[in-house]
Amino acid sequence: MRKIGIVKKELYVKSFAVISILALFLLIVITVENILVSFVMAFVINYILAPVVNAVERTGVSRKITVSGLFLIITVLFGMGLYVLFPILIEQLSSFRDELPKFVEGITKFIAATEQKFNFALSSFYKIDVSSKVASGLSGFSNRIFEDLPALISSSIAVLILAPFFAFFMLLDGQMITKKLLSLVPNNFFELALNLQHRMNAQLGDFIRARLLEAAIVGFVVWAGLEIIDFPYAALLGIFAGLTNLIPYIGPVIGAIPAILIALIHGISGFGFLILIIVYLIGQLIDAFFIIPLVVAKIVDLHPVFVVITIIIGAQAGGILGMIISIPVVCMLKLTVQTIYDQLVEFHT
Amino acid sequence: MAIMTSFMWKNYFRHTTKEKEITTVLKENILFQDLTGRQLKFVSKIVHLRKYHSSEIIFRQGEAGVGMYIVVSGAVSIKLEDSSAAPGSEKNEIVIVSMSPGDFFGELTLVEESGKRSAAAVADEETTLIGFFKPDLLKIIERNPTTGIKISLRLGEVLGRRLKETNERVSKLEEKLERYRLKK
Repeated sequence: MRKIGIVKKELYVKSFAVISILALFLLIVITVENILVSFVMAFVINYILAPVVNAVERTGVSRKITVSGLFLIITVLFGMGLYVLFPILIEQLSSFRDELPKFVEGITKFIAATEQKFNFALSSFYKIDVSSKVASGLSGFSNRIFEDLPALISSSIAVLILAPFFAFFMLLDGQMITKKLLSLVPNNFFELALNLQHRMNAQLGDFIRARLLEAAIVGFVVWAGLEIIDFPYAALLGIFAGLTNLIPYIGPVIGAIPAILIALIHGISGFGFLILIIVYLIGQLIDAFFIIPLVVAKIVDLHPVFVVITIIIGAQAGGILGMIISIPVVCMLKLTVQTIYDQLVEFHT
Repeated sequence: MAIMTSFMWKNYFRHTTKEKEITTVLKENILFQDLTGRQLKFVSKIVHLRKYHSSEIIFRQGEAGVGMYIVVSGAVSIKLEDSSAAPGSEKNEIVIVSMSPGDFFGELTLVEESGKRSAAAVADEETTLIGFFKPDLLKIIERNPTTGIKISLRLGEVLGRRLKETNERVSKLEEKLERYRLKK
């Protein structure tokens, strides 16, 4: 009887220790600035590089040398990429900054003209007045966007340093840390916890790699298409289309909006406008007919209503970044809950 | 019943081992005996050392299982529910085999898709076990295929031996049954 008491006491102590460690970790990640985004990015980097590290390790090279060497190569490649891409992006950003007032004016005029047509059609029944509100809103936004840029860049630099730092140790010591954490799990739940961790790790890895590959291909297709038709800001629009493609259903539409607005302001219409739409459509068709069936087969399906609610919550919590990471985060949560549920059912039947 | 099933759990590869370092215990186990020192060190970083109090349940009969255990120190009883007990009466458990240091059990779940424990395992005294599970085997195969293949081949040998023993046992029982029928 006394022995059973000891086993139960140990079970409670160990369970409390594991839950406390996880809760403390979550609290730090959520409350400390930049840590959440850095951790999400570190996990993404970890899942992208893990197959490469394992492949090199299979040849007999030690994991320490593999991870260090890989990070050195990536740093050099990233530096070279930045050296090539940075001037293009800066040029496109400064050009965008110079032309922003023109865009705001163009959009305002476009809305005012549309509003006038509607008011003429509606005659005396109803009078629409949104152009003045849109004009003041847009002018405030255009002033703010470049005022907020330095803060955004400094925050991005912090994430750019922290994320690879965390990812480096995740790749090097991740398995050891997981094993240490698992050693705290009470005996009753040990096999369940180990199997759960393994399944979640495998599924999350597949999910993240598939979605990122999809975003990269769509972004590249849009970039290449826009370059071919000589559309302005092709690089920026390609990156934007790739990133927003991570948002299901409405992401591709959001990704095309900036290009459509630029086309309207530049007075591109008729055949030119059609070609622009075709470029974005090709990106989506390649995604729908080749990438999703071949690569993203393991994506977690969410109901459209749930997706929209999630995106609204994400937008309110973290703006555009919140919108982009909200769906992957919710997909991960759904996957986790589903796996835990399946596992618990499996272990008790 | 106990006599009939104990052969399933009998360790045909027993080595007399006392409490030693994980690598030493692994080296003496048939599954890991082909591994080099470096490979053993690699595996020892992946397997799990678990401690159990006396009377503590390691796993229950019918529960999902994902791997095997090697006894490092202490003793473990493998128990089966007595299916001959009258319905409604309290179910008794029959000890079918006792495991001592160096013995291992539960290896069938390493290769099963969703394996269920065919018997329960209970620690008879303060016991230390090495847990080696399917995710660990998959991790070894992914990171160090040579080591993974060596372990898998030995695992095949162990399971093959168990199957052979089972077949021989079933054949003998069938013969006995046939003789019994003829006598009748």
